[in-house]
Amino acid sequence: MANIAMQRIRREFKEVVRSDEQSIKLELQEDNVLSLTGYITGPEKTPYEGGRFHVQITIPETYPFNPPIVKFTTKLWHPNISSQTGVICLDILKDQWAAAMTLRIVLLSLQALLSAAEPDDPQDAVVANQYKTKHSLFQQTARFWAQTFAGAPGPLNPDFQKKIDKFLEVAPRADRHTAIQQLSNFDWNIDKAIEDVYKSD
Amino acid sequence: MSDAHTSSDEDDLYDEGDYYSQSADIESEATEADIEAYHFECVTPEDVDKLFATAVNDLTDKLILQEAGVARMLLHHFQWNCQEVVERYKKNPAQTLALARIRSITVSPDNNNAHFCQTCFQNLRSGEFRSLDCGHQFCADCWTAFLEVQIGQGRSTEIACMSQGCDILAPMEFVLQLIAPKSALLEARYLQFCRNDWIRTHPQLRFCPGRNCQAVIRVEQILAKRVKCSFCQTQFCCRCGGDYHAPADCETIKKWITKCADDSETANYISAHTKDCPMCHVCIEKNGGCNHMQCSGCKYDFCWMCLGDWKTHGSQYYECSRYKENPNIANESVNAQAREALKKYLFYFERWENHAKSLRLEEVMREKIQNRINQKVMAKEGTWIDWQYLLDAAALLAKCRYTLQYTYPYAYFLDPGPRKELFEYQQATLEAEIENLSWKLERAETTQRGELGNQMVIAEKRRSILLKDFLSP
Ligand SMILES: [Zn+2]
Ligand SMILES: [Zn+2]
Ligand SMILES: [Zn+2]
Ligand SMILES: [Zn+2]
Ligand SMILES: [Zn+2]
Ligand SMILES: [Zn+2]
Repeated sequence: MANIAMQRIRREFKEVVRSDEQSIKLELQEDNVLSLTGYITGPEKTPYEGGRFHVQITIPETYPFNPPIVKFTTKLWHPNISSQTGVICLDILKDQWAAAMTLRIVLLSLQALLSAAEPDDPQDAVVANQYKTKHSLFQQTARFWAQTFAGAPGPLNPDFQKKIDKFLEVAPRADRHTAIQQLSNFDWNIDKAIEDVYKSD
Repeated sequence: MSDAHTSSDEDDLYDEGDYYSQSADIESEATEADIEAYHFECVTPEDVDKLFATAVNDLTDKLILQEAGVARMLLHHFQWNCQEVVERYKKNPAQTLALARIRSITVSPDNNNAHFCQTCFQNLRSGEFRSLDCGHQFCADCWTAFLEVQIGQGRSTEIACMSQGCDILAPMEFVLQLIAPKSALLEARYLQFCRNDWIRTHPQLRFCPGRNCQAVIRVEQILAKRVKCSFCQTQFCCRCGGDYHAPADCETIKKWITKCADDSETANYISAHTKDCPMCHVCIEKNGGCNHMQCSGCKYDFCWMCLGDWKTHGSQYYECSRYKENPNIANESVNAQAREALKKYLFYFERWENHAKSLRLEEVMREKIQNRINQKVMAKEGTWIDWQYLLDAAALLAKCRYTLQYTYPYAYFLDPGPRKELFEYQQATLEAEIENLSWKLERAETTQRGELGNQMVIAEKRRSILLKDFLSP
């Protein structure tokens, strides 16, 4: 069975390389055809624009009869992607997978997901709640994450910067990642974010 | 082999170690229309296969179908209602086949690519391709690999075409043709999964919930009645598969079991019995009736009801006048409600638990009776038949107490009113007669046989009156 999987991945890999699409890319991880890295660029007119996001793709032995296992390794702020683990909630990676679908389709679907979130079927409840109730704050946060973690261009939000510095002063043991995660989780309310850190200590 | 039973006249009444099953006959009562009577058959998987095969043959003949597979899929989709299938099919065959996901109305895919497999991306001779009724072609190797994965995940009748968005189902013959040559084990698993799926959709069949039991219960109509598997002796409610629960219905008992397992009751308890000290916010549990509280942390004296300083309460030591005037003070009403809800639940739960405990104790008593009879028979004090009435009494006691236990969840969910009052009256009467019977049985040596017999009749009568009035047929 793994024969079909190998066969498929080699063909699919060539397909993506040949297609020469600028916005998606696929790389084999050394000497292991069943483990790949994918790249997608953040779509235009979204907070992710200009960012470059990595996904880790693991091919099950039963591929293509079961979907590939895909998760983001670049941190990102999106209702359908866990801000902590990068796990993705997307139907074609679960029960809507069909054997005739390809990794190219998966990467294009992920890109589409960045353009059109589905907050009613969330992977990250905190993000989804912010998306629904404080949409402009959500957009600023997602932009800040894309700039910080995915290399999206433009000046960083100075208010957020200030809050991160203050957070790190009060909680010196925390790192910058933790500060951003905590503050984002609490809608950039610094008192609540700090209180929560001490609660879980 | 099949084995027909009616639960009210079981033949294995005195079978040891199988206590609750023993529906002791009280001749005078059992003959009346028994509200718990239920006719059922206990059959093997092979019997079930025959049943399905007959149904499929029947439909194939009636509709003059070419393939048994189509008939089987139609029957499965329409819950084995042959008449409904025939009517629908005669009216609109295309639509009926589409509803059952056998044939699609709209698409007829092009076969231009019949030498390129969309799944393994290989060019192959067209003879190596297979498709379902939808015409989506894939190579036989891909189909086989796909089916293996699907069956491995427990799927059978729900296996659909591999093409994206196509929901046409794979007939059994199609699957078997591809997997049978590959693995007999896989074939056997597939057939078993299919059979299980068909049983689930069949309105007259139920799995026996007994551990590792393959038996199937067959009834005219599935009702919340007691059935007993003749293979593994498990007794259960035919409708929900749980323990038999008359007079409560399946939904009530499910709610009750969930409630008992639910931690929220504990949470209720905490909110009703603990408060934070108004001074230092330490959590304090109230354990006595007195409302004058002293915080163990800061020694602050306060009133449980209003959380105010106790000094302001003056001489009225046991009552909070502030609370009397304004019961909503300090959100007390929320706590009071929680306390009330908890008190109600505990009342029913304690009785439910108590009768379960009594059932276990009386089982021990039954074993003692058994031993005593053995001794007496050995000592030539009468024969086994002479002492049989004691075991009959123990069996009846168990049966009555079992019903009594299940009256408590029923009563818990009953809305207050005359019906609940009547129910609780009958429940109390039944309880009294059961305790009476239990008392007399424990002292069977000194109780007259006739007296015990009378008490048995009375208890069973109370039980059947309660069921007759409150068990929905
Ligand atoms: Zn193929
Ligand atoms: Zn199809
Ligand atoms: Zn059984
Ligand atoms: Zn039931
Ligand atoms: Zn205190
Ligand atoms: Zn008070």
